Amino acid sequence: MNMIEASGLGKRYGSTWALRECTLAIPAGHVTALVGPNGAGKTTLLNLAVGLAEPSAGQVSVLGGRPAGSPAALDGIAFVAQDMPVYKNLSAADLLHLTRNLNRRFDRPYAEARLADLGIPLKRKAGRLSGGQQAQLALTLALARRPRLLVLDEPVAMLDPVARHDFMALVLTAMVDDGVSVVLSSHVLAELERVADYLVLLSHGRVQMTGEVEDLLATHRMLTGPAAEADRYTERPVVHAGRAEAQAHLLVRAGVDDPVPPGWEAHPVSLEELALAYLREPGAGARPGPARGRHAQPTGVTK
Amino acid sequence: MTALTVLGRPDQDARLRPVPWRRMAWVTWRQHRFALGGMAALLGGLALYLLLAGLHLHQAYAAATACRPVSSDVCAMMLSNINGPAAEIIAVLLQAVPAMIGAFVGGPVLARELETGTFRYAWTQGFGRWRWTLGKLVLLAITVTAAAGAFSVLFSWYYQPYLADGWQIPFGPLVFGLRGVAFAAWTLAAFAIAALAGMLIRRAVPAIAATLAVYTGLALAVDLNLRQHYITPLVTHSTNLPGSVWIIGHWYTKDGRLVSQSAISQELRGYHGASATRVGPNTVRTVVDPIQYLTQHGYMNWTSYQPASRFWPFQWIEGGWLLALSVLAIAATVWLVRRRAA
Amino acid sequence: MTIDKGNGAPIEFRLDAASGVPTYLQLVHQVEHALRLGYLKPGDQLPKVRDVVASLAINPNTVLKAYKELEVKGLAAGRPGQGTFVQATLSQVALPELTVLRRSLSGWLATADGAGLDENGIIALFTSALRDFYERRRESSTRGPASDGASDGAEGAA
Repeated sequence: MNMIEASGLGKRYGSTWALRECTLAIPAGHVTALVGPNGAGKTTLLNLAVGLAEPSAGQVSVLGGRPAGSPAALDGIAFVAQDMPVYKNLSAADLLHLTRNLNRRFDRPYAEARLADLGIPLKRKAGRLSGGQQAQLALTLALARRPRLLVLDEPVAMLDPVARHDFMALVLTAMVDDGVSVVLSSHVLAELERVADYLVLLSHGRVQMTGEVEDLLATHRMLTGPAAEADRYTERPVVHAGRAEAQAHLLVRAGVDDPVPPGWEAHPVSLEELALAYLREPGAGARPGPARGRHAQPTGVTK
Repeated sequence: MTALTVLGRPDQDARLRPVPWRRMAWVTWRQHRFALGGMAALLGGLALYLLLAGLHLHQAYAAATACRPVSSDVCAMMLSNINGPAAEIIAVLLQAVPAMIGAFVGGPVLARELETGTFRYAWTQGFGRWRWTLGKLVLLAITVTAAAGAFSVLFSWYYQPYLADGWQIPFGPLVFGLRGVAFAAWTLAAFAIAALAGMLIRRAVPAIAATLAVYTGLALAVDLNLRQHYITPLVTHSTNLPGSVWIIGHWYTKDGRLVSQSAISQELRGYHGASATRVGPNTVRTVVDPIQYLTQHGYMNWTSYQPASRFWPFQWIEGGWLLALSVLAIAATVWLVRRRAA
Repeated sequence: MTIDKGNGAPIEFRLDAASGVPTYLQLVHQVEHALRLGYLKPGDQLPKVRDVVASLAINPNTVLKAYKELEVKGLAAGRPGQGTFVQATLSQVALPELTVLRRSLSGWLATADGAGLDENGIIALFTSALRDFYERRRESSTRGPASDGASDGAEGAA
């Protein structure tokens, strides 16, 4: 089942297209990272998926074909927006009661147990909690709804490292306990590899690349060799070339079993390197790779 | 690669019963109890004053009407003592109440959510955003309208002696909007306008300000111009109208044609000249009414007015179109929430 | 100093984010290392997926992948509803063999040093050859004996 499916999705604000021709299918049971620089359209895409915005073009469905924003969709998706909005003048207990009233399903014992574990007092106004605690509170409220999909918009951008770790630990254990799928957006690449197993790369309002992280890493290599020969390399599509006087690094679409030219070294790529390389080459994702060999090609546009 | 199996949950989605409407009661109360408390304090304080002043007023009036002999100077003085400036002052102050209640209760409902970003939480809950909006607005509308209605009943009771002794008329511009159904209707309208303003402007303080401005403009337009046209006014020659009527217009015609005000003034100069005779020991001055004077000179006197008996029809008309306006404004707000959101 | 109360498993995983080694492989290696050193014995339970996720904040699928890899290697087996348990030990290399290996390594080091390689050069050369060795070995194990056509051109002076 696909958690989020978009086809030709676009959103325009005034005369600017924040998102265009977005087609993707995010599978269930994964942690999907929506990656891209600021202004790439991540928040727009998430807003469309959770029903906070209406598409200007195309369509988007969630949880296996339900229209985004429909009661069935709202029921199964919990959204934590950027900077974790909660009512600052309400206490945690009030917020629990509020969330309970606004949903069909709410696991209050779970929420109270989680808040107790985290040391968040129930009677204090949310505005007086620390940033990390507010984030945990917002997340607890979302998880207590027992959603099938958890959508997080830049969840850890404003958290310190400890808070960040605790936050993600809560999200990921919910995955284990309840089978929640997670879609989170981030413009920080560094810690994604530990957490994400599906990637959607957005740049300038367009989807550059989507795919399972494992597949993407298996189908890209970093070749290091003499700069003079770099231009002559044609065996595999080059995504990005980094050049110095004597040495060049080529990020190519190739698998482990692809032959390495003599004099060159091949290394596996990290997710961060891969994402950065594609982001630096706006045209890269769209070019279909030649279907040589048995290995899967990363899909710029999912079928 | 093995992905975690998504745990199967009993699929109730095919026939999702929506979250029951009554849940909004607690939500609305908890989120708006500050504004509602302010309204209660305002109305409560004013009600207390009206109660105390009203009891005093009613006692004085009862004493004045029980005074005998009726035409004596003492009794007349008792009656005129009741008609102090307090009534006017309170009526002026109360003009602002519907606007204040409506703006401060209605303005923040949507504006604060949009301003602080909490709509991203509230509108992604299972309840659904247009139902959330409708539920809140209807509950709050009913509350403010009921409170205002109760208050205006108290005000009518307080004001009763002024109407009974003819010192004030039911159609008095300050007082019409405070009695009957008008007070409640104006409060409802202010609330509905504020809610719509909040959705359009997306910021609480500017929405409140805009509501007060729009409300003031509307109230002035109705008081000064629109209200008199609800039912075509009656027209008469008579100069003997009961004291409780609402005089709308007064003009003269001669030979079937309307005479301008300046021509009348000119004509009246003759009247003043005629009556400015030197008063000597032997002259008898006949007092002639200016209107009688004009009539004697061939001018027809016309008065348009609304009789006091039309008070309640007018109340229903005003209440009716304010209600319609409010329903429209709330519907527009809900429609906007449904369509536009982020 | 606080000591974390154990969760029942004999070992606990840690993560080296800067090492460049894929996360699941780090877990696999830690299990193998623990087996070699005797921290883990056959029958011991590996940390529960949930506990690993909670302490390291990594994707649960990664832990599952690591445990699957251990199953493939025959080192562990999952018992439904109970967890993953150690099944076998790693073949220990006998002490005399270790001594022989060490002596030949010292000889190689002397040659490399004589050729002009400094410490970092030796490390780079060794790491690159080591990586290629295991990559080739993994390919040949997944594809069968008819493969192994990868060229030897992977070593170059660092």
